[in-house]
Amino acid sequence: MYTTETTATDIELDLDEALNPGEAEGFYRDSRECAYLALLGGGSALLLSPPTPRPKKG
Amino acid sequence: MHDLATEVVLALRSGDHLATVCGAAGIDEDNRTGIAAVRVIGADLLLPSVLHGHHPHPGDIAVLHRAVREFPPRPDASDAAVWSHWGMMSALHRTASATAPGADEPNAAWLEGAPWQAFTHQLSVLAPLAVPAASSAVHRAATHRVVDLSRGFVRAVRRRNWLQAAGAGRWLAALEGRPDSLGLDRGLDFVELMGGTDPRVALHVRAARLMAEGRAR
Repeated sequence: MYTTETTATDIELDLDEALNPGEAEGFYRDSRECAYLALLGGGSALLLSPPTPRPKKG
Repeated sequence: MHDLATEVVLALRSGDHLATVCGAAGIDEDNRTGIAAVRVIGADLLLPSVLHGHHPHPGDIAVLHRAVREFPPRPDASDAAVWSHWGMMSALHRTASATAPGADEPNAAWLEGAPWQAFTHQLSVLAPLAVPAASSAVHRAATHRVVDLSRGFVRAVRRRNWLQAAGAGRWLAALEGRPDSLGLDRGLDFVELMGGTDPRVALHVRAARLMAEGRAR
């Protein structure tokens, strides 16, 4: 039950986008979320460790 | 797509061998939009039967066949789209009632040289290929780069990219050799807590847990 050529094309374009999405922008954690992670208990030291220092500009 | 992923999650949780994912989501072979959603979710349509060890529902197999035929990769398709299509054919081929021929694997050389961040992103997109006893060139590339994938998992959690973290976590659950310091189990708990309202996240986390349980037995 196909509607129109246009619809078919739209679906295919949407499929391409869905099957190969770009990487989302990062949104970094806040302290509340860090607290959740700490409450979950041991074994997550790597996830809780501070960010890697970034080189300073200039 | 979200409704379909939700039904897969429910089937993963229930383990019901009579469950029909497409039927529950109101998708049949004549529903082109629904078939397109199946094309996106790909081989994960049959994931509940794979992880619970029972035959998939015939209706789900029929719809997956239809999606394979209806939406083959276009000539300019991305590697991810080509591999996703291959994964669907491979999943059908593994079913006892398979009528689909096994297809040659696409090229995976593009993964070998990818930086670890891009590698993790691509592996996460291809998380439906992370299933037990389903070898592929993507699986082998992941096996060779477990540490990179672990770094990518941590990065995804830090960036609050729950979907990428869930996909990478699913791969790590399927692979040997991940660092003990990673804390994958707790990390997955956290990912589910923060991002589990997205059924795609819940799907990958549930798949990771079932695979880990299967390996522990």
